[in-house]
Amino acid sequence: MAMRRQTAVLTALLSPVTLFLGVFFLLPLLIIAVFSFLTPGLYGGVEWAFYPWNYGRIFGWADGIMEIYEPIYLQIMARSLGFAAMTVVLCLLLCYPVAFWVSRLPARWRLLFLFLITLPFFSSLIVRLYAWLLILKPSGLLNTVLLGIGVISEPLEILYTPAAVVLGMVYVMVPFMFLPLFSSIDNLDRALVEASMDLGATRFQTFIKVILPQTLPGILGGAVIVFIPSVGNFIVPDVLGGAKGLMIGNLVEQQFLSARNWPFGSALSMIVMAVVLTVLLTSITFAKRKGGQNA
Amino acid sequence: MKLFGLAASLAVMASMAQAEETLALYNWGDYINPDILTKFTEETGIKVTLDTYSSNEEMLAKIQAGATGYDIVFPSVHMNDIMLKLGLLEKTDINLSPDFKNIDPANLRSKEDPTSSYCLPYAWGTVGVFYNEKVTGPISSWADFFAVPEKTGGKITLLDDMREVLAIGLMTNGKSVNSTDPADVQLATDYILAHKASVSAFTYDSMAMLASGDIAAAHFFVGGNVFFVDMPDIKYMIPSEGATMYQENICVLASAPDKENAKKFMEFYLRPEIAAMNVAQQYNGTANVPARDLIPEAIKNNPNITVSADTIARLHIFEDIGAALKLYDRAWNTIRTAQ
Repeated sequence: MAMRRQTAVLTALLSPVTLFLGVFFLLPLLIIAVFSFLTPGLYGGVEWAFYPWNYGRIFGWADGIMEIYEPIYLQIMARSLGFAAMTVVLCLLLCYPVAFWVSRLPARWRLLFLFLITLPFFSSLIVRLYAWLLILKPSGLLNTVLLGIGVISEPLEILYTPAAVVLGMVYVMVPFMFLPLFSSIDNLDRALVEASMDLGATRFQTFIKVILPQTLPGILGGAVIVFIPSVGNFIVPDVLGGAKGLMIGNLVEQQFLSARNWPFGSALSMIVMAVVLTVLLTSITFAKRKGGQNA
Repeated sequence: MKLFGLAASLAVMASMAQAEETLALYNWGDYINPDILTKFTEETGIKVTLDTYSSNEEMLAKIQAGATGYDIVFPSVHMNDIMLKLGLLEKTDINLSPDFKNIDPANLRSKEDPTSSYCLPYAWGTVGVFYNEKVTGPISSWADFFAVPEKTGGKITLLDDMREVLAIGLMTNGKSVNSTDPADVQLATDYILAHKASVSAFTYDSMAMLASGDIAAAHFFVGGNVFFVDMPDIKYMIPSEGATMYQENICVLASAPDKENAKKFMEFYLRPEIAAMNVAQQYNGTANVPARDLIPEAIKNNPNITVSADTIARLHIFEDIGAALKLYDRAWNTIRTAQ
């Protein structure tokens, strides 16, 4: 009796979530998956006939008449993954020490700092990126200040370079790295750190053997949350990179708009998803194995 | 009793809501003088809402995906043709309106609707080069434009638009901007790739950068002139090898909820003083012949905005190229991936 009631309650509680995920996540995903195997419509949309060359264009079995295999799609994918990985590493290097510092602050200051970290979310991403454009351009704030105090004699050429893209991505993603990192660093068992030092471990040994393993869940969580949107980001390369280096996100956007090729865009999206899923599963497996060692 | 009163007042409110006439425009960003909408509402009592898009394809994708509630869209001529083929537009018989005689027949450019029984020519203009003469000196061709970085150290930008950029490569090679021949598109790709290193960015943000001196020249729409009224050093030119032109039409959607109001708006826009109001704020060309006498002198006398017949002869307009779009897409990917 109790069991059945529990089941009923559970069903009632879970069904809205299931329905939500089903309608807003699984169904669109299914549409993309199906579209990726269909014939592109002349003016967008799809024709309901099987078409193997959306993937063929990417991986090498195009017929050479309707569709041509070109390696640039995989190159674009590789470059996007490289940029995303760089974003993850830079965010981590930036956030790790800061998270330690914040976790040592008095509670009041800590709250203020956490609020400041989330503050950028209050304004639109596009507006914030245009602000960066104004900062980075040759006559912008950064160059004016650096020239003014005499650090440089010629304006720095940052805008419309890959460096500007990385900077913009790191700026956008820092909060997503900071929050999971902070929560795991804040929960760090300081007694273990003291014990390690007392027992003669060097600072470096303590960091590697005691601190790093304990904060690994935060590092992995932050890395995954930063990596996934970074792979598909197309606004930052457009606004700050001058649209000169095509990223996979730009390519997908272009297929749905100017190229009017929804199936090819869907096929590219499926590949991005497969890559992201692989990264996710690998990191979960890695975290589990590490967790197992600690226990 | 109280309940009855509430129901009655609700009914009154509902009928008021019905009485409120509306018109929903879906237009390019910053592409209509807001005073025109105010004046239309003042005269007709029809409340106008305005949503914006940034490319033909964005608009098409949204309408195709089933977006409803819009009455009027402003597609470029080739998109007007595509939308007609897809059955997305409503026949308005605007060409039977008495004021239709104001429209220049040269502006009836739609291939699918050559008599304008669906859409009304809205505005047209050129896509050329803005340059800071103090930095670049006088320039008059695409060759001059691409040589600016090497000669002067000034930066240049192109539009972030697949067909506009490839059109430059086609025109400089003497090919049609609507070519569907892979060899022509390859020539165009090679031309752009040869100059890619000189191009700082593919962007629409170039006008502010030109005004602040961060770039020296930019590929942009004639409407950009509006930013440089007080900056005589910034000039605009139509390159000698050729340039593209655009024209947008006012079209009523087949799914439009207020088709009658939409027709009223088209008729309103046929009036010369209204078309002239738009030119005064937008700095582009009008298809309305009597309106051409009503536009501000500064615009009328600017040879770059009000272009001469031999300049018009150098202009090319995009047509729908159907499945050949794939050629351009591949070329554009190559251009944007090349280091």
